[in-house]
Amino acid sequence: MPDGALKIYYLSEVAVTVEFGQQIAENLLNMVNGLNKLLYQKPFPGFNTTVPAYATLTVFYDPVLVIKTDLPGTSCFEKVSAYLNDLSLQMTPTKPAEGDIVTIEVCYGGTFGPDLAEVARFNGLNINDVIKLHSAATYKVYMIGFVPGFAYLGGMDERLATPRRATPRPLVPAGAVGIAGQQTGVYPLETPGGWQIIGQTPLNLFDLGRQQPSLLKAGDTVIFKPVDEREFNRLAAR
Amino acid sequence: MSTIQDMGRYQYLSQAVPVSGAMDTLSARIANKAVGNGDNAAVIEFTYADAEFIAETGLLIAYVGDGAIFQSGEQVLPPERPLFIPSGTNIKLTNNPSGSRTYLAIAGGWDLPGILGSKSTCLTAGFGGLEGRTLKRGDTLKNDDKLTTNAQQIVQNFKQKLQKNDTNDTLFYPAWNIPRQLLLPAGRKTIRVVPGNEFGWFNGRSIAVFLSAPYIIGRQSNRMGYHLEGAVLERAKKDELLSTAVTPGTIQVTGSGGMVLLMADCQTTGGYPRIAQVAAVDMPLCAQLKPGDSIFFKEISRREAEMLYIEREQQLHQLTIAVQCKFYKQYHAKHRP
Repeated sequence: MPDGALKIYYLSEVAVTVEFGQQIAENLLNMVNGLNKLLYQKPFPGFNTTVPAYATLTVFYDPVLVIKTDLPGTSCFEKVSAYLNDLSLQMTPTKPAEGDIVTIEVCYGGTFGPDLAEVARFNGLNINDVIKLHSAATYKVYMIGFVPGFAYLGGMDERLATPRRATPRPLVPAGAVGIAGQQTGVYPLETPGGWQIIGQTPLNLFDLGRQQPSLLKAGDTVIFKPVDEREFNRLAAR
Repeated sequence: MSTIQDMGRYQYLSQAVPVSGAMDTLSARIANKAVGNGDNAAVIEFTYADAEFIAETGLLIAYVGDGAIFQSGEQVLPPERPLFIPSGTNIKLTNNPSGSRTYLAIAGGWDLPGILGSKSTCLTAGFGGLEGRTLKRGDTLKNDDKLTTNAQQIVQNFKQKLQKNDTNDTLFYPAWNIPRQLLLPAGRKTIRVVPGNEFGWFNGRSIAVFLSAPYIIGRQSNRMGYHLEGAVLERAKKDELLSTAVTPGTIQVTGSGGMVLLMADCQTTGGYPRIAQVAAVDMPLCAQLKPGDSIFFKEISRREAEMLYIEREQQLHQLTIAVQCKFYKQYHAKHRP
């Protein structure tokens, strides 16, 4: 860290937030994930869990346990802040924290992507260009929010940016791949949704049967791989 | 609406799984303590008095909360204490206008599978509790028969009393109760808040209004959040907040200047500025509010909120011991050589 003092603010009696900045930027994402990783390796007594976001890491704890520790400070907020400040000094800013690389197969267009033609029309492209641009980029998972397993992805080609649909659909199927403004993402659950749906993945983005139910986590790299309907059905049947 | 809840699901927040859990954790915990359970045992959360059930065997239960009174025929069952309900008892919930949520605990807790470390119903994603849904007519629930030592002692004690009276088909309960009012006066309408990180984004007049004007609980309020109707707040700073963690108790101010108080099933992240955070010790009061109720906000410091939290935990710990002592003494007095 530059000067050894993190910006930390109070969220609630059981959580503090470390703020690394105010923009969506890969170097901030690396700091969030770096501190997150370090904290899981070296938790303080009473540590519960974290919520990484674009440029913040929120740390949840049990005040009853924290107040009993001999960390410096007279309140839990001070004690946890002191610990996090100390921990941040052990971060190596040159080495970005590494996530996993996850390939998400997508069947673009047709009934799987009812808005693909609209995205193409809006941007003056043909359908194949949209598929090519969307699947050529590598995306970064900045955070998981909205509904369980929903990943906010950074890195979409600006030529694909399309406003949300004027009227949201009452139900978007699980696995729907959508575009809204500069963002792209995959709906993990069947929910109402206003994004432009360009395709669908047969993968289960949130599966209670997995040790980590969310397929994606902050810091991961995502690649979309176009597949045809037959391949979609084969993968879906697995 | 009735759902299964415990103290919530904290380990999967990073995967956007909501905390869920009892809205009024204080009432849920007291109900569990009354039957000797650990605080995290699964309870039924009733919203209003929309339920009726039959005990198919003798049951040791307790109920706490301001949404309903339990009645068996004409007989009112007193809250905040263990109750022995004989087999065949029909219990009907009767509306209690002073609140909205009531918790039913059973010795051992309701027996349901833990999903992602909790038995709470996650309605957003449809898992946890009973098949991830609200309870409906015809559902059958049973208790987990792995009782804690405390629960065993209470059951033992009740059995002895019933044997002495040569009956086990009478409703039976002690004269004492656990006075929740002493921990948190239910009628209080002033909710204590700590300024949120974006408190300074609002102009002075708006902050003054926020801390003095009444706010009404809106009609669309649910387990995810309450819409607060009242004076609109104005921003002094027009920045966009980059989405970051929010938590139950967070008060967000939407684009139109309206406020949303996030509750147990809220999203894990949000992008609206946060004017304040409700003190955790006052969240049980918020859980009992109904659409149309009017509340006021009062500012306290984060240190005060934290001290109140730790104090409340100590009081609740003492309560466990107090219940333990009641039965421990009686049990051992009988078995003294």
